[in-house]
Amino acid sequence: MSPPAAPPPPSADLFGARLLIVTGKGGVGKSTVAAALALAGVRSGRKTCLVEVESRQTMAAMFATSPWDFTEREFRPGLWGLSVDPEASLAEYLDLFYGAGRLSKLVVGSSAVQFATTAAPGVKDVLLIGKVKEMEQRRGSDGRHVYDLIVLDAPPTGRIVNFLRAPESAGELVGIGPIRQQAQSVVDMLVDPARTRLQLVTLLEEMPVQETLEAVEHLHALGVTLGPVIVNRVEAARLSDAQRSAVRDKLDPAAVAAILDRAGLQADEAIGEALLEVGAAHLARQDLQAEMRARLAADAPVPSIELPALHADRFGPAELDLLADVLAEQSP
Amino acid sequence: MSDPLAVARTRRLDEAVAQRRVLVCTGAGGVGKTTTAAALALQAARLGRRTIVLTIDPARRLAQSLGLETLDNTPRAVTAPGVPPGGLDAMMLDMKRTFDEVVERTAGDANRVQRIMANRFYQQLTETLAGTQEYMAMEKLADLHATGGYDLIVIDTPPTRNALDFLDAPNRLTDFLEGRFLKMFLRPGFSAGKAVGRAVGIGTGLFMKAASRLTGAQVLDDLADFFQSFEGMYEGFKSRAQQVYRLLQSPQSAFVVVASPEPAALREARYFLQRLAQEGMPTAGLVVNRMSMPPLVLEALDPEAAAAAAAKLARGKADERTVAVLLGLHAQRRDSARREQRAISAALHGVDPHALIEVPLLPTDVHDAAALLRLGEWMVGDPARA
Repeated sequence: MSPPAAPPPPSADLFGARLLIVTGKGGVGKSTVAAALALAGVRSGRKTCLVEVESRQTMAAMFATSPWDFTEREFRPGLWGLSVDPEASLAEYLDLFYGAGRLSKLVVGSSAVQFATTAAPGVKDVLLIGKVKEMEQRRGSDGRHVYDLIVLDAPPTGRIVNFLRAPESAGELVGIGPIRQQAQSVVDMLVDPARTRLQLVTLLEEMPVQETLEAVEHLHALGVTLGPVIVNRVEAARLSDAQRSAVRDKLDPAAVAAILDRAGLQADEAIGEALLEVGAAHLARQDLQAEMRARLAADAPVPSIELPALHADRFGPAELDLLADVLAEQSP
Repeated sequence: MSDPLAVARTRRLDEAVAQRRVLVCTGAGGVGKTTTAAALALQAARLGRRTIVLTIDPARRLAQSLGLETLDNTPRAVTAPGVPPGGLDAMMLDMKRTFDEVVERTAGDANRVQRIMANRFYQQLTETLAGTQEYMAMEKLADLHATGGYDLIVIDTPPTRNALDFLDAPNRLTDFLEGRFLKMFLRPGFSAGKAVGRAVGIGTGLFMKAASRLTGAQVLDDLADFFQSFEGMYEGFKSRAQQVYRLLQSPQSAFVVVASPEPAALREARYFLQRLAQEGMPTAGLVVNRMSMPPLVLEALDPEAAAAAAAKLARGKADERTVAVLLGLHAQRRDSARREQRAISAALHGVDPHALIEVPLLPTDVHDAAALLRLGEWMVGDPARA
């Protein structure tokens, strides 16, 4: 993918492209955000497919469904799910080009395919993105796109550049033939701002923000259009400015214990001190968040959307719906 | 103490840090593997053991946390309080450089080295192939173990989604090297279409047609050249991979599985602990980073009475309202902690992690020597102190 003259303009609109590729540093909640984006897409009336790679059945666990596989299934009204698998993608691809299932049955599962999917450069990634491209282009008998929105829970930022570059690398290596053409058409999709958006997920913490800013640079160089950065697990400020200085400077453990006692809760200074520590930790977290928010605003060329940290006793489909609400509110 | 989790909680990583020769930190991405590896290495170095910490992370986070500007494929000395000069090194695995070094060391003559490095497949393979990372980590570990003169090597596994790849990589390589697919490329007078067709068990004509229509015939010739240029070196790859595998099974080594209290990361940790048991590889412990952990003294507060008091204080004067918020923040943390404990119990059901070390969430990232020191002391120190 050759870099464009100027970086493509970022977009604040969450659903400005048919394919959303969701990535982020490990541990930032990339899969959760991908699932919430898909739900928000459904709510906006889009026929949506959520796609996972490197399946660990994360989505099945999150939505409490039976395990996902290579069959697209509508598991909620308007929402399909698919777990892409390189071998199944290859079989489908061969069938498409050679008609019969004969060749693919012979090839898939053979040592040649083992080689292709474990040792050949990027072949696995080409097959995975190739499948997504097929879905992105697929049209129904009415001539309309089958999916209005495809959300891909992609590999983490550490691997995303190689993942997205795989089709181009394969194209360079191969030179001619349908694989070359296939690779080129995938590259065309990835750099088309009307078709593909890259959605970075981060936390307001130093290393995730650092990695996000590095990824922004690399992804710009690839010519991929970035959607807004989605900031996950933002802790809401619970203490006002006056309360902040009370916790930091005014209240002491004895005063807190006395207040608790008067409210009918038996407490000693140790409890007062521990509660002040809880408050101080909250404030330190708020300060870190403010600093990181400022850094993103200054150094990332794209706007941010913030999702709240949820402290529910359990995290399940209801919490996912809540995050989807927040996303849907922020997109026209 | 019949509860196995309670027993595991009393154990620490002190023995692992003081006795083992190799510690492998593994776990899902983003759980703090690199930081954990660095903190353990620092503890060992402070005991006077000559230690190196090897990371495979492209984000260069270890360099940040050790206060180094850059890390490359050579060991760099780290200075830290309480560590004798030369006692602690750090290095980051550069996949391509390591692969090049292996080729240079084992290829024999310069012409062959040149032929390998000029091959297009080699160039792509060393840069982009996910499996190479794990394999090269193994090669580097073997190299450091044999010639580095270290008392302890702490290694941080690649940031793969599937942390098990680290164990599978040498086997996969060995399988591949023994497979028919490779053997036929190595046959003298290789002719792409015919040989591949036979090897994969498809009619020659059909395969030839398919392969050249898919990729062009040139590709198969490049591939053959690539494999043939390595001829005679495969035995070396295989035996080193097997050596490392045996080293990791021996009591000289131990695995430290790292997780966060998120269910997905804990599920990954569970798979890994099970897999280590199957492979007969020693487990030193499970480290769960970023735990909510409310202060212990607050456990004395009855949740319902505290909620009632908070409701009352919320209608009171300024300081009372502030204390009400503090009670609310505590309740929130207690709920998170409860959820985390449930996730840990579920992940460890029927699985023995040996030691279970729960590390509290720190308000800021760990990226200086002082913070690494505190983290390390937490992991090796007396659990009762917590």
